[in-house]
Amino acid sequence: MGKCVGILALQGAFIEHIQHLEKCITENKYDLSVTTVKTPEELEICDALIIPGGESTSMSLIAQRTGMYPHLLKFVHDPSKAIWGTCAGLIYLSKELSNEKELVKPLNLLKVKVKRNAFGRQAQSFIKDCDFSSFIPDCTDFPTVFIRAPVIETILDPQEVLPLYTLDNGLIVAATQGKNILATSFHPELAENDSRFHDWFIKKFVLKQL
Amino acid sequence: MSELKIKSGLAQMLKGGVIMDVVNPEQAIIAEKAGACAVMALERIPADMRKSGQVCRMSDPKMIKDIMASVSIPVMAKVRIGHFVEAQILQALEVDYIDESEVLTPADWEHHIKKNEYNVPFVCGAKNLGEALRRIDEGAAMIRTKGEAGTGDVSEAVKHITKIKGEIAEYKKTLKTDEEIKAKAKELRVPTELLMQVLEQGKLPVVNFAAGGVATPADAALLMQLGCEGVFVGSGIFKSSNPEKLAKAIVEATTHYNDAAKLLQVSSDLGDLMGGISVESIKQSDKRLAEIGW
Repeated sequence: MGKCVGILALQGAFIEHIQHLEKCITENKYDLSVTTVKTPEELEICDALIIPGGESTSMSLIAQRTGMYPHLLKFVHDPSKAIWGTCAGLIYLSKELSNEKELVKPLNLLKVKVKRNAFGRQAQSFIKDCDFSSFIPDCTDFPTVFIRAPVIETILDPQEVLPLYTLDNGLIVAATQGKNILATSFHPELAENDSRFHDWFIKKFVLKQL
Repeated sequence: MSELKIKSGLAQMLKGGVIMDVVNPEQAIIAEKAGACAVMALERIPADMRKSGQVCRMSDPKMIKDIMASVSIPVMAKVRIGHFVEAQILQALEVDYIDESEVLTPADWEHHIKKNEYNVPFVCGAKNLGEALRRIDEGAAMIRTKGEAGTGDVSEAVKHITKIKGEIAEYKKTLKTDEEIKAKAKELRVPTELLMQVLEQGKLPVVNFAAGGVATPADAALLMQLGCEGVFVGSGIFKSSNPEKLAKAIVEATTHYNDAAKLLQVSSDLGDLMGGISVESIKQSDKRLAEIGW
């Protein structure tokens, strides 16, 4: 049986991830299924988990209150699972927050220190074409959306965590840890009709073809 | 286009969440701790505006600023329909979203704000598809049902989401030719391309939240099951006897809106809920807020 990719669906833009993944699966005939995850039973059947954009405080509080936190903690720390966090997901996966940390209990996975709302408020949100061709072949113009985005302020373990993409001003906005963990401060799920990032995630982290 | 992406993108991040009306930093902190994905900063909640009979305007920016400083989640604030200067002021303040709201007293009975001209995203209320699309055409990056704010009566919000979903389904079935779509777009006073886009996707091109009269976890789950993508709660929470508990319960009900066992759990022992006022009882008078806007 094929692997199953779960998308944490406690709050946020989880449907957008599902749409991109399903498009990749249809176009490339991957032996994969996709499911939303709100309960331990749904998490149980997954081989990979995407933590979507949303409000990290809401997600964290709901996970604690509904008893999902210990299950998520166990799942993401299992090295056989592929894990990807976008925006709020990056915050939630991190080991440490440098600000606005009172209400977020992160999953203590990604060995980085993250700054929430690093660019400011919504007024400072932006979209930018980024050149990801150093890791996604020929992807020189990905429409990259940053909404009240966090950044990786410090990499706490440079042996394990590698910066994947850095903005011109030196801010780290994407990183990997080991062979199974990906985190982005931006939203590939908001790219319209462009699933290159999701396809790369599937190939490299879920199917481990690259 | 890319600018709309940034504006509607924030609304996409709020999906599956609860946006709570708050009148001071203390309430904002309670809302954030309860798991609200955003707060709406305003001087008086709709239930109190409804009683006052006074002109209701944009809140004091100082008060909105204090709320912005007190929480890490997005902060929204309301302007009067058509009051483009209140909108300029709130954009200068850098609130995260502006609600051009029928809950306040309209400043212009003919024109809504040209929302395309702003960098700050707007949410607007709608009772039907035509109204929703006219607001989107003006630049709204998020739609909410109007409901009947300040009543604690969910029936108008139910009516509005059912109407919008129903119209989309009906037109998808009945409008066969480009000419028919063009004629319907003309009737709704919206661009043909916008209506075509909606019919193709089977949904509005922006996020659609529930609002107006939501008072219980079951109300929130009802509107989610009817197809809303998130919930605004106005007077309901802070008019109840245990706001913290109710706020948490509504957040959980919005996440697990399809899980009756969870809904049972969070609906129990919530104390006194907002007394409210039924929409039927105010139909005779001219005080229905949902009638405001066009």
